[in-house]
Amino acid sequence: MTKPLFIIMCSLFPTIVALGSDHPAVRAAPTELVGPRPLERQTETAVIRDYLQAWRSMSDAFDQNRTDRLDPDFIGAAKEKLAGTIREQASLGIHTRYRDGAHDLHLVFYSPEGLSIQLVDTVEYDMEVLDRDKVLAAQHVRARYVAVLTPTEVRWKVRILQAEPE
Amino acid sequence: MKSKCTFILGGLILAAMPLAMAQTGGLRLPKTVEAGSAFSIQSSGSGPAFLYIVGPGQVLRRKVQLGETTVFAPGDLHNAGRYLAVFVGGSSTENGAFDVTAAHQPMVLSFLAKPSRLPVDLHDGISGVVYVFDAFQNLVLVPIQVSFQLTSVTGAEQMRTALTRNGAAWTKMNSAAQEGVAKFVARVGDATSTRVIQQVPGNPCHLRMSARASGQRLAVETEPVRDCSGNPLPDGTIVTFTETYSDGESTVDVPLKRSVARADMPAYGGAKVSVATGVFIGNEIRLGTKR
Amino acid sequence: MSTDRLPAVVIATATVALIIVGTLWPIPSAIVMAGSGANLLRPSSSPQAAVEILAGEIGQQAWEKAYSSLANKSEFTELEFVRDLTGTYLSLRTYATLDSFDARPLHASADEAQVQLKLRWSSVIGAFLDTRDLRVVRTGDRWGVLWPIVKEPRVPPQVIPVNYLRWDVIYRGPEDDWGSQDVEAPHVRIVDMHPVERSGGVVIMGELLNEDVVPAFVTVKATLLAKNGSAIATEDSFDKISHVLLPKQVTPFFIAFHDVELSEVDSVHMDPSATLIAASADPVIGIEDQHFNTPPGASLSGKLVNQSGQVVNVAHVLGTFYDKSGQLVWVADQYVDRALLPQTPVSFAMSLPADIASRVSSERAIATTYSSGRFQ
Repeated sequence: MTKPLFIIMCSLFPTIVALGSDHPAVRAAPTELVGPRPLERQTETAVIRDYLQAWRSMSDAFDQNRTDRLDPDFIGAAKEKLAGTIREQASLGIHTRYRDGAHDLHLVFYSPEGLSIQLVDTVEYDMEVLDRDKVLAAQHVRARYVAVLTPTEVRWKVRILQAEPE
Repeated sequence: MKSKCTFILGGLILAAMPLAMAQTGGLRLPKTVEAGSAFSIQSSGSGPAFLYIVGPGQVLRRKVQLGETTVFAPGDLHNAGRYLAVFVGGSSTENGAFDVTAAHQPMVLSFLAKPSRLPVDLHDGISGVVYVFDAFQNLVLVPIQVSFQLTSVTGAEQMRTALTRNGAAWTKMNSAAQEGVAKFVARVGDATSTRVIQQVPGNPCHLRMSARASGQRLAVETEPVRDCSGNPLPDGTIVTFTETYSDGESTVDVPLKRSVARADMPAYGGAKVSVATGVFIGNEIRLGTKR
Repeated sequence: MSTDRLPAVVIATATVALIIVGTLWPIPSAIVMAGSGANLLRPSSSPQAAVEILAGEIGQQAWEKAYSSLANKSEFTELEFVRDLTGTYLSLRTYATLDSFDARPLHASADEAQVQLKLRWSSVIGAFLDTRDLRVVRTGDRWGVLWPIVKEPRVPPQVIPVNYLRWDVIYRGPEDDWGSQDVEAPHVRIVDMHPVERSGGVVIMGELLNEDVVPAFVTVKATLLAKNGSAIATEDSFDKISHVLLPKQVTPFFIAFHDVELSEVDSVHMDPSATLIAASADPVIGIEDQHFNTPPGASLSGKLVNQSGQVVNVAHVLGTFYDKSGQLVWVADQYVDRALLPQTPVSFAMSLPADIASRVSSERAIATTYSSGRFQ
């Protein structure tokens, strides 16, 4: 009985995920910045928007093993590390899926000259490791990420994206 | 609301699955690993398998024998983040999660110092921000003391210290009264980063000229142009001489050379000559005799 | 015929008719410019015809033909005649083409006439007008033009030491780390801004100061915002500004918005931008004998004097006009079509609208220059 039920639940899983996670739930806490520079509402909105977009780009990049999908939203060390990982997993014949389900964001630092913004994000996401279409492992993760974004010509890009133990 | 509920239900089902597997297996993982340090993973079961270490920061694969301990050498796993360890093959599929944290030793500083050029004597005119990294470009998130030191051309020093929060620390400094190149140094332990700040003269404080008629021409010349701190304005700064007379006006924009601007203009008796630089106006001279 | 197709038929018919009229009864300058004047026009049997033929040959750059038709060609060489029209040194005239011309008889007798010839030249920055009052004399049954040659002055050989400051810029490289300093962009500031309604649109005029100690390449963009905060239009100053500003230099700017009413505008967002640029403090240009000419024909005229030793190929003069209270009322500009030779005055005259001119109490002119082979 358990096995057929398990199979049914697995077959329903893509539907459940599809129904539930087209857009992650986002909560942005009231800004309590450390630093002398005031944060305008427009800037705050743009940073959050571009950060969430970066997660979508990262998800696509890891799923398709395409480092170029990182280009619009990542820069510097974050881009190099993520691109390196994608190349590694491609060489091993695997790909990974990151589906972010919920973000709890706090903007914590806006540097005085306006060239970097730091945020802390408690994010819940589903991670799957796949060999072609075969799921090798799957896990639901809740992690605390520290991100630093820097402004470029048209958007804020993620320069540091690092998980730390909660 | 409906999509949120279905998502939570699906998530609960998924979350239950790996937990159950970790409990039934004999997988032993460290909870946290310092970036770049050696660590080991103990598996259960028997037979050959592949061990994957997967995270956004890195992906590793080892061919292992289940039931034995797999050792990772220093430097193998060096990017901080959340990782999933997955055994594939053999008698069962096990996985578990662990964290890699930044190394405690700060090695690299990203130092943003702005502006690189500013007028003298500006309170809190210079800002410095430091992000502290370990040898593997991981942000060091434990609080660390950062010292900032600004040394002006005269040797005068300003010192500030700040504790990092989430890997970042910042400060503000005043620009000196004396123009010149200042060194701005950020230091964390043995890691340092230096920036050069050019302190340039401020707005002119004293703009005076003299005029000397020589036949049909008028030679006008300023005294050395200085700012309010006594610093001479840099060469190339534009000074405008304007001569207004009954029939019209003549102007010439002249760059300072060795703090002095000189120009040659047509001489008209009774003309009024004035001098200005930017929006700062100097003295006026009225020429006496008619030609 | 259906009413839907009627407008198309009318337009097509009118087009064909106008083409036929233009072909059968072309204006003289069109004939001549098309290169068939010699055949279609009567020979130079009248002063007007002589001038029109000459203008046509100038337009076709048939210099030998044009020169040989002149009645006073013994006074100057063909090269001097060509240089009178195209300039000796590289300037706006060098690559200009004759767009059209007007020949207007002023007075005539049996053997002599005065004809005013207006040559409209088309250059990279727009059109400029060259007006010559020509004496035309009769020799036998033919009329010949006495060309009023303007010989370019010769600058005597000499050494002119130039030791004004020059700035070079070294930028950071692509491999430089995040946090590595780059050269700071110049600090510029708008010191004056005045929006007015003009000619069915809105004009933003103002002045921009380089308050830094390094040269700046500047532009100014303006966005008109409606009461609800939405953007109505965005325009920039284009060439109604001096783009290279040396330290403490001030330039006027003029931004025009068409088909916008000032009453629709709630606020204006100004966006001056400045980037570091390699530049030289040389050449120094004196603007002498500036004179404000009241209407009719309101203008600011004067002479540009190149006080350096190098030829300035293109000079652009910008004028800022203020009323009694010192408020900015207009910005005008003019390109000088001749090169500025060292120490040699060249005249300019920039016009402004008559209604604005009546309010002008003071003015300020600046010159911005381009020399081939230099960076400013």
